[in-house]
Amino acid sequence: MNWNTAVYIVMNPLFALVLSPLVLGLIKTVKARIQGRPGPPVLQQYYQLRKLFHKEIVYSEDSSFIVRLGPYLGIAFMLTASLFVPMVFIPQTGWFGNIILFFYLMITAKFFMVLGGLDAGSTFGGMGSSREMTVSSIIEPVTIMSCAALAFVLKTTSIPEMFRTLLAGSIFSYPTLILVGISLFIILIVESARVPVDNPETHLELTMIHEAMILEQSGPKLALVELASGVRQTVLMALLINVTFPWGLAGLAGCASLLLAAVTMAVKMLILAATVGLFESLLAKIRFFRLPDFFMIALFLSFITIVFELLR
Amino acid sequence: MDFPEFSSGIEDKEAVVQSLFWVGGALCLVATILPLVLLFRPSRLLRQAALWVLLAGTGAISAAAILVISRSLDLHLTLLSITPQLALSFRLDKLSCFFVVIIGAVSFCAVIYSMTYIAHYKSERSKQFLASGLAFFILAMLLVVASSTTFGFLFFWELMSLSSFFLVMFDLDKPETQKAGIFYFSMTQMGTIFLLASFLLLYRFTGSFDISAASNIPQWGKGLVFVSLFIGFGTKAGIIPFHKWLPYAHSASPSNVSALMSGVMLKVPIYGLVRFIIDVFRPDLWWGIVLLFFGSITALLGIIYAFKEHDLKKMLAYCSIENLGVIVVGLGLYVIFDFYGLRVQADLCIYGALFHTLNHALFKSSLFMTAGSVVQATGTRDIEQMGGLIKRMPGTGAIFLVGACAIAALPPLNGFASEIMIFQAYLTSFSLGRPILEILLMAGLAALALTSTLAAACFAKAFGIIFLARPRSGAASAAKEAPFAQLLAPGILAALCVGFGVFSYQLISNVKSGMPLPDMLPIGIIVLVLTGVTFLLLLLTRSPVRKTETWGCGIPSQTGKMEYSGDGFSEPIVTVFKPVFRTRKLSTREFYDKYNSIPKSSSGEIGTLKFFEERLYVPIARFFMKIAGAVSNLHNVDMDALILYSFIAVVLVILGVGWWL
Repeated sequence: MNWNTAVYIVMNPLFALVLSPLVLGLIKTVKARIQGRPGPPVLQQYYQLRKLFHKEIVYSEDSSFIVRLGPYLGIAFMLTASLFVPMVFIPQTGWFGNIILFFYLMITAKFFMVLGGLDAGSTFGGMGSSREMTVSSIIEPVTIMSCAALAFVLKTTSIPEMFRTLLAGSIFSYPTLILVGISLFIILIVESARVPVDNPETHLELTMIHEAMILEQSGPKLALVELASGVRQTVLMALLINVTFPWGLAGLAGCASLLLAAVTMAVKMLILAATVGLFESLLAKIRFFRLPDFFMIALFLSFITIVFELLR
Repeated sequence: MDFPEFSSGIEDKEAVVQSLFWVGGALCLVATILPLVLLFRPSRLLRQAALWVLLAGTGAISAAAILVISRSLDLHLTLLSITPQLALSFRLDKLSCFFVVIIGAVSFCAVIYSMTYIAHYKSERSKQFLASGLAFFILAMLLVVASSTTFGFLFFWELMSLSSFFLVMFDLDKPETQKAGIFYFSMTQMGTIFLLASFLLLYRFTGSFDISAASNIPQWGKGLVFVSLFIGFGTKAGIIPFHKWLPYAHSASPSNVSALMSGVMLKVPIYGLVRFIIDVFRPDLWWGIVLLFFGSITALLGIIYAFKEHDLKKMLAYCSIENLGVIVVGLGLYVIFDFYGLRVQADLCIYGALFHTLNHALFKSSLFMTAGSVVQATGTRDIEQMGGLIKRMPGTGAIFLVGACAIAALPPLNGFASEIMIFQAYLTSFSLGRPILEILLMAGLAALALTSTLAAACFAKAFGIIFLARPRSGAASAAKEAPFAQLLAPGILAALCVGFGVFSYQLISNVKSGMPLPDMLPIGIIVLVLTGVTFLLLLLTRSPVRKTETWGCGIPSQTGKMEYSGDGFSEPIVTVFKPVFRTRKLSTREFYDKYNSIPKSSSGEIGTLKFFEERLYVPIARFFMKIAGAVSNLHNVDMDALILYSFIAVVLVILGVGWWL
């Protein structure tokens, strides 16, 4: 492992970790402004996390080690997954980057969250877990199909390689990537539990999926869970950004270029966050059993991309 | 010998392998006979001794097989030859020894598990029988994959089928066991008939019973042999639509037997398929498409059925169907890529399929063993009656969790390590350049993706409902941890699951270098480090910990009945896949008055249509019953008619002989 890779391994997850509360905060602010409210401060999520880290942990008497271990494994797997999507610069080589492994690491993080939801024996937790697993099962073929579309267009299955190819070319050499971009946007909405799939604002039992599942987590454990879902969202955003608009990503590590790349990425991320906030405000939540229809759009677009690529 | 200077060394090794193989086989035979020696005065000592002998036997054979693989030997042994053509002879090469290792290693653990598991049955006689049957079953399986002639293959195949049939019929007083037995027996015999047909056809074309490269077969003959082989092997491997016996047989048999049947016996037909696809024939493209199609359907439907199931062992059985589907998908893709000369992808698929065979054997037998302990402790197979077992059976729970993660294809465990090989082959198939075929492949890819996440959902449900939250019944709250042997055996397998997952890249590169696969070792290390670091950082916050009741909207005290149930968990997915499940909802209401306002009584019922049973199996069975009825009408006649029959028969024979000569 050389110096370049070492910097990458430390920097990439840290970048996601630090930026994710800001992204969440910005989405909230945009939504509030559209609804005509002042909304919480943009940095509210950071205050929230600080507060949670100082609170006590409450466990259910019925729970086991699963609910205690789950948040650690959740954040560990999410941060490992975040290694797979270069956000600031593209490392030279490495064992990371396989796009399938990336999505499966995210599923693993989710799997332990789902078990945690079932552990306390609360009906809410069970309901949330069941719905979360349902949504993620149905979105999975879409996700893998988008991976296949990316692999077919860019002729590689490694995410850093994909970005490198994209940086060298222009969007005009790969016009079909716009379609994949829409697919990835839908995947982003689904995986980060946003309207129209889930409503992150409410704890009403009719609408909630993700929030119901983590209802029994508290204090610092809840903070870890929140961070993990924040990182999930940030990483998927980075994937979408770099597939559709990779410019600004540094090819190699150097202090000045790194700083510039980090700022560029942050700006792009915030623009996307504002778009997500706008998107959320414009749509109403879809009925749970209508969700497969929504996912079908993404599946169709990925499939069309593959067909285009084959007929080229 | 290619290397004359090493020849003496290799011959030494061959002698060692040979003697280990014979000794192992003999030990298994001894273990079969030993418990039955004093059948009328069953003795615990003899039974236990037989199990130890069996342990040694499986160990010896596995050692022989490992030696063959590591030294790349190729041995031919002959046990008995009736005529030069009809011989029970064996060939130990890498492929057959790979399967021998799987069978040997899993059987080894299953025997350890049986040491205490058998003891919980009531009747001494049946315990002896179980120990003896187990040994014979293991021996038969080992000899099937080692056979080098179709004659020997079929002979041991039948021994394997029959011995497993008797083991399935172990609890023969129960009506469900009788149903399972009949299903299993008739279907496995149907499979054997197709195998027999294909072997005879093969003999007709090649003039030999050897399992070796067959050339000069006409195209139609090759196709016919393949279809026949596919039906024969598919029946045994539980390929949909030939799968129906599998959930019945696996749930009815004792758990050590179901671990062996699911973990190992289902792999024997896979061996057959691989051997015939790679060694015997040069497959056509359509073989691959057939395998891919049936494999994808099997994987997807298998896991969808598993998800709905709340009989623990039936759920695991359906999950085996799913995994066998994944393996067949791998084989199908191998044929397709091999046909078009895509070497890297073809290698990924065949090694992926074989690796998944090994992995499935490991995690599925581990899961069946832990499930057996759970069933033994709670006295029920219904997961809705379980719950909270992780506090009462922590060891069993932890091992089940590892198995569940492995089967759910979560990295960095072994289930994922083999599935990613197939995914990788799919994703890099862009150089195929055949649009129509490619679209078919993409449909298969989507199905495989759906399958693997549904498996994750299914095992989240299984683990959650069985082990987490509160006990849902008195039996579950009184459950006790399984004895040590019943933890050791699945524990070894679970450890292997972790090992083969984390070190998968190193293992695969050892066998075949240059595979485009991710290395799992750093992933494992980083996850471990990050978990540790987060744990330590959280210790720094020094948060006080409080234990209290689960929040239940203010209900004073909650009971196990208020928890989310397994059926509740699977409901959304069942609703989404309604067309597949063909759910039937019946509700009737009666009223006292004509305005339908005062309800008198009502009933509701939700059931699933057993599609294959009701639409495929039963019509076929009815058809044969009709023929049988017609034939039996011929029997109920008077003397004159019988004389007429024999007259017609004699005339036919004379005419036939005349025509023949």
